[in-house]
Amino acid sequence: MSTEKTEALVIRLADWSESSKVVTLFSSDFGKLAAVAKGAKRLKSAFESALDLLTICNIVLIRKSSGGLDILTEAKLQKRFTARHGSLESLYAGYYLAELLDSLTELDDPHPDLYSEALKSLDRFAGDGPLELAVLRWELVLLEEIGQLPMLEGCADCGRPVAPDIWFDFSVGHGGLICPDCHPEADHARHIQPGTLAILNQLLTGQEAAWQRLVVSAPQQRELRRIMTPTICHVLGKRPKMMGYLKFMNP
Amino acid sequence: MNAYGSTVNELIDQFAKLPGIGKKSAERIAYHFLRCSREEAFALADAIRQVKLKIHACPNCFNLTEDKLCQICADPRRDPRILCVVEQPRDLLALEAAGAFQGMYHVLQGRIAPLEGIGPEQLTIDQLVNRIKRDQVRELIMATNPTLEGDGTSLYISNVLEGTGVKITRLARGIASGSVLEFANKEMLADAMRGRQSF
Repeated sequence: MSTEKTEALVIRLADWSESSKVVTLFSSDFGKLAAVAKGAKRLKSAFESALDLLTICNIVLIRKSSGGLDILTEAKLQKRFTARHGSLESLYAGYYLAELLDSLTELDDPHPDLYSEALKSLDRFAGDGPLELAVLRWELVLLEEIGQLPMLEGCADCGRPVAPDIWFDFSVGHGGLICPDCHPEADHARHIQPGTLAILNQLLTGQEAAWQRLVVSAPQQRELRRIMTPTICHVLGKRPKMMGYLKFMNP
Repeated sequence: MNAYGSTVNELIDQFAKLPGIGKKSAERIAYHFLRCSREEAFALADAIRQVKLKIHACPNCFNLTEDKLCQICADPRRDPRILCVVEQPRDLLALEAAGAFQGMYHVLQGRIAPLEGIGPEQLTIDQLVNRIKRDQVRELIMATNPTLEGDGTSLYISNVLEGTGVKITRLARGIASGSVLEFANKEMLADAMRGRQSF
């Protein structure tokens, strides 16, 4: 058993006995961690008010080598997630981030870049920029980080690159975009517009200042969700609970 | 190996389901009841039976009661136009023990926790909205727990009541009386600064 210190984001809490909690954290150094915080519900504990959903804390924990739960011995609050004033969507976006982090990452699998992106995403969810794009950016970066990003630069079957004069379809089963040659029976009404693909590309690789200025039309928003929603559901193996709460995901 | 026999094992299993009771504690309690008198054991069984038979949620505020209305709803001295919204009956008891509130309560019977599959439809929010209209409530004090989910529940309710004209407040947060600023954490100080009031 070794004692470790790291910074972590609280992504799940469950009551355990009268005064303790089981906490799932996503940390910068160790990835996802599950630990028992004994006495966490008491006001005068070593955790004070740090153990709340989506708080960022500096933690001290005793790692268990036997595969059991770690023991959290200290948590100091660094920052609390505060949703946009009066916005449930902003709050639910934060919950959605926690749900995906908990469901799509493995214990003891560090992803420091993903941790950094999660904190930036929470800031974006709490800020003034377009929430739909901030959530989409989070989904894209998460999928890329865990190696599940669908092929968006060209046909997933033949590799034919995206071109403005060719309309591609999207298929989760094929792993991304499908060109008309590989999928001739496709419904033309369901083709993905080149502008929609450009938005995805900009979100994934562009500068934040640039994609924050993007203006997304309602049809583009529908197309973006037509790509991302089934992809997330496919990777997760079920529909995330929070998708039903985020109105823009159900256009 | 079935060391105790099925009857004792059943008793141990039932005790082990109680909050804070593990297998060992359940065994100790079960053995206590094996040793104690019949009267003592039956008194406990009867108390549990009576609680389940007599106690129900107050139809007005959803606090626990064994009468038609709970003591607070039945008290004519309480102001029905000021409602304090809490998550659980235990929160109501804590606030009542403070003795600083003369209005009435509404127990939500939980908080909105979508990640645990608890949505607004599973709480008593519809009944709260109906009560506010019926009793012409002028102030709603949100006393949900000061957690992200507690605040989220308050936010949901305040959004539902938008446009009704009801004044919505929440419990103050910050430094406890008798404490020292130097040792207060930054979250407490920030809350106290945001919630400052006229002297």
